Amino acid sequence: MKIAIVQISPFLGDIKKNFELHLEYTEKAKKKKADLVIFPELSLTGYTLKDIVEEVALIPEKDRYFKELKTLSREISIIFGFVEEKENGLFFNSAAFLSKGKVIHIHRKVFLPTYGMFEEGKFFAQGKNFKTFDTPFGKTGMMICRDFLSYGACYLLFAGDSEIIIIISAAPGRGVTGKEAYETSRMWELMGEAISRFSTAFVIYCNRVGFEDGKAFAGGSYIYNPWGKLSAKASYLDKDFLFQEIDLDEIRRARKRWSFKRDDKPEIILEALKRIVREYED
Amino acid sequence: MKINGPFVEKVLTTFIKEELAKFNYKKAILGLSGGLDSSVCSYLAVKALGSKNVIALIMPYKNTFHEDATDAQEIAARLKIQWKIVDISLMVDAYFSKYPTQNKIIIGNKMARERMSILYDFSARKKALILGSSNKTELLLGYGTIHGDMACAINPLGDLYKTQIRQLGQHLGLPKKILKKQPTAGLWAGQTDEGELGLTYAEADKILYMLVDQRSSKKEVIKSGFKKEKIDKIISLIKNSEFKRKMPPIPKISARTIGLDFLYPYDWDK
Repeated sequence: MKIAIVQISPFLGDIKKNFELHLEYTEKAKKKKADLVIFPELSLTGYTLKDIVEEVALIPEKDRYFKELKTLSREISIIFGFVEEKENGLFFNSAAFLSKGKVIHIHRKVFLPTYGMFEEGKFFAQGKNFKTFDTPFGKTGMMICRDFLSYGACYLLFAGDSEIIIIISAAPGRGVTGKEAYETSRMWELMGEAISRFSTAFVIYCNRVGFEDGKAFAGGSYIYNPWGKLSAKASYLDKDFLFQEIDLDEIRRARKRWSFKRDDKPEIILEALKRIVREYED
Repeated sequence: MKINGPFVEKVLTTFIKEELAKFNYKKAILGLSGGLDSSVCSYLAVKALGSKNVIALIMPYKNTFHEDATDAQEIAARLKIQWKIVDISLMVDAYFSKYPTQNKIIIGNKMARERMSILYDFSARKKALILGSSNKTELLLGYGTIHGDMACAINPLGDLYKTQIRQLGQHLGLPKKILKKQPTAGLWAGQTDEGELGLTYAEADKILYMLVDQRSSKKEVIKSGFKKEKIDKIISLIKNSEFKRKMPPIPKISARTIGLDFLYPYDWDK
């Protein structure tokens, strides 16, 4: 399977220009014979939208850009991020997986960071599920940025049988350590390494770059294989086009060697979780 | 507090480049005092935009900071950027001849705002975006003139403490003379920031780093070896200067008020 990760800097609030970016890079991925092209979180709109959210929201069934991307997906599977008006007046930070001319799945961001410089909870409605779905490449789960930093959410994809976990992100860099990267880049890599290894699954992370209101999106997109080994990594801060072929048989090989999936105990975890939640004090 | 020179340079030059492109500017303009911060900012601007797209205004008042003005010219010449000396003595003297005062802070603030006014005027004349040079230490302590030296379109240095700017300056290869310079707001001759604050930048930066970046409590900062009085002084300076870091409050009347619930990004449609 050939994957193209598009590490771009979308235009804030300008769907038309961003749509053109999507066309350009999808074409480039197609030329390289990629099976899947991945764009970052809110790739169609930019990230720091605030009150622009309602102006750039789309209804997938009715939107013309969506329709065109669906048509394009007959030749190459596409993942991208957009603002979705799922119900009247409710706006979601969503990720779409398009393939064979159809919408295979839409994930709506569950963990909306709302602290410090993050204000997503002020402008977006919260998604409610982490679902594993079938794709031409195998069972897949999608997450958006902060979702991935919840190991509970990662577990749901693992328990749901995901073999490929794809995260689209708009993660700003923060913290300096004297190293040639933001401190937070290490955090994303650590999670990628751990989740891929202990889920014996591919973890594919597509982040963006560029500045919005002073925030520098840190790039550093990557692919970890089911052994927890880094197979590809994009540059920090710079735009990049990461093209990588992965061997899906590695999932089987890793799962024969490491029995994390075979030995998982979702029933026990579920019952224990129920007890924990029941025992919450008022 | 150690920074990686090449990484921070990359972040800041990319920022300058991108912001100018977003707002459709090719050129940047800045006030060059001959001190460390504005010199570092000039170096970054040149790396981001090229010498021919950077304009420095050197704005001395009489001969008060003669050496700094000379250093500023040296920096400008070394960077091969356009520069211009605009002497503010005439305007400032004209004003104070009518409204005299002995208050050094009032005089210093007026000078800072005179420079701001000239900088904005030249920004329009030259179609150049104004780069600010206020560092994180100054911004947090409120050690700047509101609508004076704090005024700018973008401020590349605003998240670096003074000691970090010195590290960056070293990395960028600034002349030793500039790197070693005693920081001064240039409000009056003989003034030094450290003298006025009663703290060295090394101390202030460490305390600020703990309080702000690491969110340490006062107790924890005391435990790490700083005197309570110094910490209290810093905390009170931060609190009393919050107004300089904010847009002025607007009393709410309507359903949607600017700054409260009319919320758009700075980079709106950019």
